[in-house]
Amino acid sequence: MAMLTLFRVPETGGWVEVGMIRGPIMADSPVSINLPVASNAAPAGPSAQEQKQMEQAYAQMKRKMAMEEIGRKIKHKIMVLSGKGGVGKSTVSTGLALSLAQQGFTVGILDIDITGPNVPKMMGLDGRRLHVENGRIHPAQGHLGVKVISMAFLLEDEDTPVVWRGPIKLGAIQQFIGDVEWGELDYLVIDFPPGTSDEPLTVAQSLPDIDGMVIVTTPQQVALLDSRKSITFSESLKVPVLGVVENMSGFTVNGTAAPGTEVSIAAPGGKTLTTTADDGGKFSVTLDIFKEGGGKETAQEFGVPFLGALPFDPGFVRGGDDGVHRIVSEPEGASAVAFAKVVEAIQEQLSDGADGGLEII
Amino acid sequence: MAETLPTLKKLERRKQDMILTYDDETTYTVTYDDLRHACPCAKCSPLRNEDDSARSLRRQIESLPAEKPTVRTIGKYALAFEWQQGCSSGIYRFERIYDLANRRDPDRGKPYVHGAW
Repeated sequence: MAMLTLFRVPETGGWVEVGMIRGPIMADSPVSINLPVASNAAPAGPSAQEQKQMEQAYAQMKRKMAMEEIGRKIKHKIMVLSGKGGVGKSTVSTGLALSLAQQGFTVGILDIDITGPNVPKMMGLDGRRLHVENGRIHPAQGHLGVKVISMAFLLEDEDTPVVWRGPIKLGAIQQFIGDVEWGELDYLVIDFPPGTSDEPLTVAQSLPDIDGMVIVTTPQQVALLDSRKSITFSESLKVPVLGVVENMSGFTVNGTAAPGTEVSIAAPGGKTLTTTADDGGKFSVTLDIFKEGGGKETAQEFGVPFLGALPFDPGFVRGGDDGVHRIVSEPEGASAVAFAKVVEAIQEQLSDGADGGLEII
Repeated sequence: MAETLPTLKKLERRKQDMILTYDDETTYTVTYDDLRHACPCAKCSPLRNEDDSARSLRRQIESLPAEKPTVRTIGKYALAFEWQQGCSSGIYRFERIYDLANRRDPDRGKPYVHGAW
């Protein structure tokens, strides 16, 4: 009996005093203990619905904290957008990432294009699956150690379209940001679907301290019109425009002829381009397939930086299909050099002191 | 749109307004109320689409205490203004600021539509 008095219900009293043990208590005899399901001291627990809400709120809070943590671990975050589809946005995103990786930076690509995720194919990661450990998603590693996260990794087969309404899509994006173990990165390049829809808005609101956006365009009027929308869009997102990149800017034809020979080539728009073969018998002519200089004009018109022009290079198509990016297969080639210049222009924008000499008092 | 902008060389913040000096030696005064009412962010812009909400936005801004903002450059093309109270989200292109300086509608009469231009 003396031993039994040691057992107590918190804030209420001993088991004996509160009547949990009744009847005669004899040595070596079993006693009957009436254990209540809930004591008077403890309030009734939350309902199933409340429990679910609490769990959701906790998960949301955890994700938010994770996103802030990710924001701290990644030095530079660059969004790659275009107003129009088909301008080579994923090609530019992967090219920028690889060009940065070539310079020795640690780089990741987040492929937010949920409906048409192409980045893994371009990075030689086709058919790969993501590794999940302790509830954290670990990115796949592509060429030059670039870390890649894409919806493509979650698809059962590449022919199945992702048909998601807004809230599910946005939830997936937040998960791609908050639940991924990126580690320490110098640069995270974020590839978006074309247009100015919800995805950039969600990312801009979820990921802190985005450095800016790169607008990809091609020189023709329709694409330029849409890139102007993207520039205006950036103002509403509070994300600066790092600059405009003109893709598919010109196709260079290289050839040989007898030294000093004048070569004529029929160019688009009924033009004829002429050049002369050099002493080694080599010549090259650049054809402006989609006009020229439109990206630069748009940048000037909106007062945003022009980051450079990337050549029309069929090698990107082959590289995209084969999973060996042009920058990897030809690291010294014309395209790799053009990307390096664009990267240099981006880095100049990211550096401090790009204020154009404005005195603020 | 294709107007050549003079370069903003000096921005002097005062209690209620700022004085802008351009490289063509022109000087303008823009009040903070006008500046804040023209905020290009996704929250403020739609409020200027309708007269009633635009007036309400204006009243809200005018009721805020007077303060000097912190100003920072965004690349070489825009300025951002940080306020203790009220919206600090907008990125103001120099073109927009020049429009305000010249008492022109920086939205050029176009209503704001999110993502559907």
